[in-house]
Amino acid sequence: MKSLTITEIEQFLKSVEPEFDLRVPIRLHDGTRSLGGLNEGPLSLMGGKIPLKPTSVFFPQTERVFTRESDGEIKMEKPGEKPILVVGYTAEDADCLEFIDKFFSENFRDDLYFQKRDGSVIMVVSGKCGPDGGFLKIAGGKCDLELICDGERFIAQAYTEKGRQLEKKMKASKEVGDIDSLKKMSDELPDDDLKTIQKASELILAEKVPDAFWVEIGDRCIACTSCNYACPTCTCFEVYDRVHDGTTVRERMWDSCQLDGFMREASGHNPMGTEDIRTRRRIHHKLAADVTRWGHLTCYLCGRCDDACPTNIGIKSVSRMIVERYSQANEK
Amino acid sequence: MKKTLTTCPYCGTGCMYYLVSDENNKITGIEPTANHPVSKNWVCVKGWNSFHFVNHPDRLKVPQIRKNGKMEQATWNEALDHVIARLREIRDKYGNDSIMFFSSAKTTNEENYLMMKLARAVFKTNNVDHCARLCHASTVVGLATTFGSGAMTNSISCVDEADLIFVTGSNTTEQHPLIGTRILNAVQKGAKLIVADNRKIRLARHAVLHLKHKNGTDVALANAMMNVIIGEGLEDKEFVANRTENYENLKKTVEKYTPEYAAEITGLKPEEIIEAARMFAKAKKAMIIYSMGITQHSHGVDNVKSMANLVMLTGNLGKPGTGVNPLRGQNNVQGACDMGALPNVYSGYQKVTEENIRARFEKAWGVENLPSNVGYTVTTAINAAAEGKLKAIYIMGENPMMSDPDQNHVREALEKLEFLVVQDIFPTPTAKFAHVVLPASSYAEKDGTFTSTERRVQRVRKAIDPPGQSRSDWEILCDVAERMGYKQMKYKNPGEIMDEIASVTPIYGGISFDRIDQLGLQWPCPDKNHPGTPVLHVGKFTRGLGLFCAVEYKPSMELPDKEYPFCLSTGRCYFHFHTGTMTRRSRILDREERFPFVEINTSDAKNLGIRNREYIMVATRRGEVKAMARVTDGIVPGVIFMTFHFEEGPANLLTINALDPEAKIPEYKVCAAKVRKIS
Amino acid sequence: MAVETKTEKDKDSASLYRPVFCRIVRISDLTPTEKLFRIEMPEGRDLNQKPGQFVQVSILGLGEAPISVSSSPTRRGYFELGVRNAGALTNALHQLKVGDEVGIRGPFGTFFDVEKFKGKDMLLISGGCGLAPMRSLIQYCEDRRGEFGKTFVIYGAKAPADVLYKDELEIWQGSDIFETHVTVDNIPQGTCYDGHVGLITTLIPPLEIEPEKSIAVVVGPPVMYRFVIMELKKKGIREEQIVVSLERYMKCGVGKCGHCTIEHLYCCLDGPVFWFNEISNLRGAI
Repeated sequence: MKSLTITEIEQFLKSVEPEFDLRVPIRLHDGTRSLGGLNEGPLSLMGGKIPLKPTSVFFPQTERVFTRESDGEIKMEKPGEKPILVVGYTAEDADCLEFIDKFFSENFRDDLYFQKRDGSVIMVVSGKCGPDGGFLKIAGGKCDLELICDGERFIAQAYTEKGRQLEKKMKASKEVGDIDSLKKMSDELPDDDLKTIQKASELILAEKVPDAFWVEIGDRCIACTSCNYACPTCTCFEVYDRVHDGTTVRERMWDSCQLDGFMREASGHNPMGTEDIRTRRRIHHKLAADVTRWGHLTCYLCGRCDDACPTNIGIKSVSRMIVERYSQANEK
Repeated sequence: MKKTLTTCPYCGTGCMYYLVSDENNKITGIEPTANHPVSKNWVCVKGWNSFHFVNHPDRLKVPQIRKNGKMEQATWNEALDHVIARLREIRDKYGNDSIMFFSSAKTTNEENYLMMKLARAVFKTNNVDHCARLCHASTVVGLATTFGSGAMTNSISCVDEADLIFVTGSNTTEQHPLIGTRILNAVQKGAKLIVADNRKIRLARHAVLHLKHKNGTDVALANAMMNVIIGEGLEDKEFVANRTENYENLKKTVEKYTPEYAAEITGLKPEEIIEAARMFAKAKKAMIIYSMGITQHSHGVDNVKSMANLVMLTGNLGKPGTGVNPLRGQNNVQGACDMGALPNVYSGYQKVTEENIRARFEKAWGVENLPSNVGYTVTTAINAAAEGKLKAIYIMGENPMMSDPDQNHVREALEKLEFLVVQDIFPTPTAKFAHVVLPASSYAEKDGTFTSTERRVQRVRKAIDPPGQSRSDWEILCDVAERMGYKQMKYKNPGEIMDEIASVTPIYGGISFDRIDQLGLQWPCPDKNHPGTPVLHVGKFTRGLGLFCAVEYKPSMELPDKEYPFCLSTGRCYFHFHTGTMTRRSRILDREERFPFVEINTSDAKNLGIRNREYIMVATRRGEVKAMARVTDGIVPGVIFMTFHFEEGPANLLTINALDPEAKIPEYKVCAAKVRKIS
Repeated sequence: MAVETKTEKDKDSASLYRPVFCRIVRISDLTPTEKLFRIEMPEGRDLNQKPGQFVQVSILGLGEAPISVSSSPTRRGYFELGVRNAGALTNALHQLKVGDEVGIRGPFGTFFDVEKFKGKDMLLISGGCGLAPMRSLIQYCEDRRGEFGKTFVIYGAKAPADVLYKDELEIWQGSDIFETHVTVDNIPQGTCYDGHVGLITTLIPPLEIEPEKSIAVVVGPPVMYRFVIMELKKKGIREEQIVVSLERYMKCGVGKCGHCTIEHLYCCLDGPVFWFNEISNLRGAI
């Protein structure tokens, strides 16, 4: 079992840089943590989740679908030259990725997404490297390799063949690590938030949440769209064409169900034409609709929408309010 | 992939974020910063989409010269030589003051500084102004008179500390979304909110008191509140005695504004005014937040002075959680004012009429005989052009055809000009009248600084190269100056320009690119060690004592009558910005609001047989515009509201060219209108 | 589920989002705001759609929109789209001429399950633009006349000028395959019209049907469903005998873009054709 220092991880990343398009945790100009290449900022393995939508690596805010020069052939966008290597997902992010892999492949396979996703390598970072010394849940799978921090070093755990290949390339100054006690710590992490959203999900599915609740929450929503744009499992997009000097470019970009125009039809008819319906949809979609469709919640409690919401109505906050207000009534 | 820390080009909140760009010189998205004191993790919808116009195919990429009535592509050499040749001719024939320079609140501080330097040092005219004239000119005049400094007294973070927030004439959650959300959060935490605005804006849903006073009756409302406060002895006697002057005059003036008297004028109930007054006066820390609803009136300066009076009377100044807080509408409208892109002051509000100040600038700029007469404003320049007194305008990044009142009047003015230069990033309706069009670069393609509404000077950074042959405004302006034979306007980069600004502008004395590399600094920042000033007027006003300016209520210029029974008010919506040049070229934003619309009360619509989403005609004495009816209870009966974003339904074809006598700001918020169905 | 047909040429770059260029071979005016486009796939291929499915139509430079196929797959060698000029893309489509190309992706979505309709009496009820998708089923019934029982074509338009497929309605009215009823909501002054006037719901009560062996198919504007279905229920038709086709804003047509969701369903994947009992209790469905 390889146990690496941050410097050794950095050396490893440098050694694989020629083969991979690296998206590793770095600090940007003002200290904001992000995913990027080693040349974009200093490596930042400590601190927990990266604020940006982690799945933007495979589903960026805008991407080209195809181009067509006047009357020429349609040229679909080509995959990048090198496969993507992501370091720094949390265990929750890996859950999210697993879900959107399923979402983008089911029924019709979204080739734009898989162009980037196929061949990519995911390394989760977990253990004693959370914000303010907090402990990050150990994924124990759902990724190619996991770097579990014991407070000083990162213990590498490979879960797939790709992960094992990369593990071989890691040069560690120590070959032992106490993974079991770390796993125990992970297992003992509180699951209050999970219980809360599960309970909220039940209440919504049981129609215990009145419409007036969504009006109240909707009143506090300014439709900034940050919740959708930060959420790793939000996949909605808009498609548009632009013509640059005779060449048509079709692109897609993130869209948000919190906008009035999201479902508005050309006639003006809008099935989601009021704030309360849109606010309900945001929560209902992850906690109820997807439960019906996919058999499970599609919020994995990464907390990004709660961080990104300027008025504190992210999914955790709203779920807490739902449970506080309506679970009593439920018991009666 | 590259991530470039920069400042948002939309409202004046001054959020910073990263522009994400790819190896093809294209911006692909934005990423919030987690560490900014204002934006924190947050971005509003315009912010999230603020990159999308940058790569739009409509971008101007090549200079153009009008030849035989048609615009033809030209080289930079041809275009700039033509510009200076024509400007020289006009100057020599009609004099220095026959040329006007429109600077821009969209461009950087450095560019605004250079524009006013070009006007003053090279063309020897004080005819330089920008669109602050159309938004907060009354603030600059009003607060400079009362406090000595025409800017937001406090910081955005002060919202978190206020016990009572009085919002008037500001639809904050739409126009300054991340300030609006702070207000919403403050309310959640127990702060009281009073909204004085007759539209049922989002904030009104959270207010303890929603005052739907008639458009343009703000002075009456404020005077009556002060009448109650003084009458009940709720004023801050100590503050009034120690920090202010001219109190007796105010007391006398507001005497007749009893709640009953003001109720007649404002359409409010006397009890509402009394309650507002008591709540405001009794709050430990009360702040006023206002915007265009206060300023865009023919008595805009009076309105601003009233806000200042109210705050001084209650001692809500010079400490966190209080103050008079005008929210500046544009990313750099504060900065453009600070830089002296105004007809009466150099950078740092140093008056052109004062000889010693002129002498300082003459020395710094290496010129003689800087002009001492105050120049035209944006609004009076258009009037002068229409009268044939002004012959040429050099416009940088402004769009008067869409932004100025009475579009037909503006058209007439622009058509009469002998020479018009338009320097912009898109072909605006104004550019259609240009003799020369110069392609400029957008905020994502240059370095510089913007100053936010809370006086925070922040960096703008180049993420990608400008498209085609387009160049940064600062480079173009320097080139023009050089071609005019002026030697002291050469810089390697905008950082050098800021160094010059700091050397001639006391309030920016301590600002440099090094110091604001990650976090901005709030002016006044007089020297390199000064930490900046989050709250103004602590212990002492900029002018010494705060000056109570007693003002009488004056009705708006054109009130509804039998023929034009509605009051037309204009403004913006959440998804678009000003003349729509950028937001209407951003996919998501344009989708959200695609049509010119007019808000009309449900009962008014019913009486006229108007259905929601039906196109109707809105007419005033200036003209007629087709817009989609938005039937809503969010607006009071008798008032209609339009936005000025839409070229195909320009609200400013309807507005009245009535100006505040001092600030020369147009009365965008009140004119008489009628609506009719289209058969 | 049908996927886009691939030719040798574009095999390498096959993509879910790649439109196939198809040629417009005929354009007919249906009303002042509606046109019918007959389109041929390259190399004489068939679209292989089922009645009720839709295609994503691209005009490069303007974008893409979902449009339901108006013709029955029983009519080979071409397919037809009835298009109302309602937005930027459909407006551009209306400017096209015979010989011009449009990009096509599809067919997508669920269809009228004609296998399950076999032997049943059919009530084909459409309002306004709803006749466009309905026509694919009417034509199907016409071409496979033995497969169904008594078949009613019920159609309502706002005014006589808005009536779609006038020529065909006349043929259907004269045909012994169908019992056809057409109505208009009102007659503007100065219009010559001697047909039925009244809301489409007024056509339903007089129909002589055997509810037990009937299937009702309803396609129309959002406001129509609730009232028509109410009338159908009065006639003894149960929710599980009613089929509806819904319209939504769509961007991808393949269940990814998220614009067309109805609670947990995607209108493009799980619809546009639904059994009414599957969606009747879903919020926002109709």
